[in-house]
Amino acid sequence: MSAKPSLQSQRLIIIALFLLMSVLLAVDLLIGSTRLEAGDVLRSLFGQGTPHGEIIVMQFRLPKALTAIIAGAAMSVSGLLMQTLFRNPLAGPDVLGVSSGAGLGVALTVLTITPLFSFKPGSPLQGWSLILAAWAGAGAVMMIIMAVSARVRDIMTVLIVGLLLASAISAVVSLLQYFSNEATLKTYVIWTMGNLGNMSYTQIRTLALAVLAGMLVAFIMVKPLNAMLMGENFSRTVGVDLKRTRIILLASASILAGSVTAFCGPLAFIGVAVPHITRIILGTTDHRALMPGVAICGAVILLISDIISTLPGGGQIIPVNTVTSLIGIPVVMWIILGRAGLGRKF
Amino acid sequence: MGTGTVIAETIDLAIGYVTQGKSRTVMDHLSLAAHRGELVALIGRNGTGKSTLLRTMVALQPCLDGTVRLEGRDLHTIGRSGLPRIVSFTSTEPIALRNIKVREVVALGRFPYTNWIGSLNTDDERSVNEALEVTGILPLADRNIDNISDGERQRALIARSLAQDTDLLVMDEPTAFLDLPSRYSIVGLLRKLTREKGKCVIYSTHDLDTAINEADRLWLMTEEGVSQGAPEDLMISGTLARAFESPLLSFSQTAGTFSFVRKRLLPIALDSTGVVGELTERALRRSGYKIMPDADLKVMVKETGNTTEWILINNLQIERYTSLYNLISHLPAGD
Repeated sequence: MSAKPSLQSQRLIIIALFLLMSVLLAVDLLIGSTRLEAGDVLRSLFGQGTPHGEIIVMQFRLPKALTAIIAGAAMSVSGLLMQTLFRNPLAGPDVLGVSSGAGLGVALTVLTITPLFSFKPGSPLQGWSLILAAWAGAGAVMMIIMAVSARVRDIMTVLIVGLLLASAISAVVSLLQYFSNEATLKTYVIWTMGNLGNMSYTQIRTLALAVLAGMLVAFIMVKPLNAMLMGENFSRTVGVDLKRTRIILLASASILAGSVTAFCGPLAFIGVAVPHITRIILGTTDHRALMPGVAICGAVILLISDIISTLPGGGQIIPVNTVTSLIGIPVVMWIILGRAGLGRKF
Repeated sequence: MGTGTVIAETIDLAIGYVTQGKSRTVMDHLSLAAHRGELVALIGRNGTGKSTLLRTMVALQPCLDGTVRLEGRDLHTIGRSGLPRIVSFTSTEPIALRNIKVREVVALGRFPYTNWIGSLNTDDERSVNEALEVTGILPLADRNIDNISDGERQRALIARSLAQDTDLLVMDEPTAFLDLPSRYSIVGLLRKLTREKGKCVIYSTHDLDTAINEADRLWLMTEEGVSQGAPEDLMISGTLARAFESPLLSFSQTAGTFSFVRKRLLPIALDSTGVVGELTERALRRSGYKIMPDADLKVMVKETGNTTEWILINNLQIERYTSLYNLISHLPAGD
């Protein structure tokens, strides 16, 4: 019975986070290189603003804010799944080279397949081929990490393998760049900078569908995820089909991280940091609370990053990757150096 | 006690590992049994395969040959969803979690019974509370798992096992890393579960003391095979002594304890009785002496009021000491 108040407070915190997200969404719509009054923004949203304002709000600010919400939630949930799957508090899509794997898929598509089949950039066909390639790349790296984790218990060793994988992949990508023409190369380089803007509504819909599918699978797996926190022996002896569960989680994490990476480029440190921030805010490791908490918290953090990136004003924009690194790296440092356990405990 | 029916048995079982299609047998021809209401201690030296046997019994490792029967059914016919309702397993896997409460850990024991999202109904809540109460950690239920002592954490894991509501509990080294009083209290708790709840508990341990004193049955693993029986049976047959004795250790058949073997024993006579006499004898033995009534060297103990004095007589030379430590450090060197 005494567990009830804490469950209730967790619910309240999640609702508060959701409200915070809504406020930040509004702020993100209000702030930008062009000054617009709050009233203008509101009218533009309902199609009654000035033509100029409507273009800025509907074609630039809203897609960017929506992308921030979807991408932040997806990367963070992917990180949470990976941390529990690998029993490694420092796991995350970018840290273990999964984003790089997705990037390799994107590079292959942008630099070889797209020119070959002459897909129009931004077309749904190109969108889906990008996403599929990113899933495959992310999934492949995920499976290598899985195989390594099964043999090596040491968390740091697994991290080093992830770093090596990321380096190897970037070498392969460099090679691809060397052999590709200038126009396709430019598309690819812009992608690597990480960008929440430049998304058409078609692309956002594709991304949202993929992320929704990945999230649904993740939400269904909360019970086995909770058992997995207790270790492999426990999970198996209470009846978890570990092999099947791992494949499902691996697929879900790859879909989430891969889809976002395909459209927005590699978003650094969101995936590692947000699950930890959420565990501290909610004070629990229970995935029933963590799953929605992490998703909303991820959206919040990426919205904040996006707002910060537009702060300089006057048309200047800091790459969002820079902002997420500045937020994420201190958290990761704190996990490694802080509280006893050297990053071995959640 | 031994009146319960057989709940777990191994029939001509071979245990070991399968790696890359090749199997490596650690031990074979194991035929063992455990009954309801019985505390079974699995003992044996390092590397004899205690963990492997326990893991094989809960289907974490394959049977290389022979069978394991739980509640009269072959292990491989029970299936993934049936097994967790028959046997629970606690291993030495550390819990690498900060933000989890004792109650939440214990509640995970209800895993085989809860719905897809894992929420507890009133039956589940009752089982969890009962497990917390029996193991004596109800007052700690809302503490974080990393804020309690090692002994308390072990109790929490036993509670989790209890919450799983199985008649058979298998535990791999539940007393590892614990100090002496905690070891006794954990084994005492396991014994209580067999007596009050009718559970069968099979646990592996390196702690011979508690195993010999508290277990109803020992499964003793040696390189030659496994022997089973009441601790005293294995002491009478000398199996226990053979399993652990080495050139350096000798086993006392009746006390069930080990002591170092002294190579050369010097004779000494001792004139004393009671507690002080026994302790003096013990100290002399450790220093490499053997009590012989007609030895030249002689120790007399004089107890007056609150003070004790040891008088050492050596060829008409008489020395007096006020502590055993002083007496021993002045004795001629033994082994």
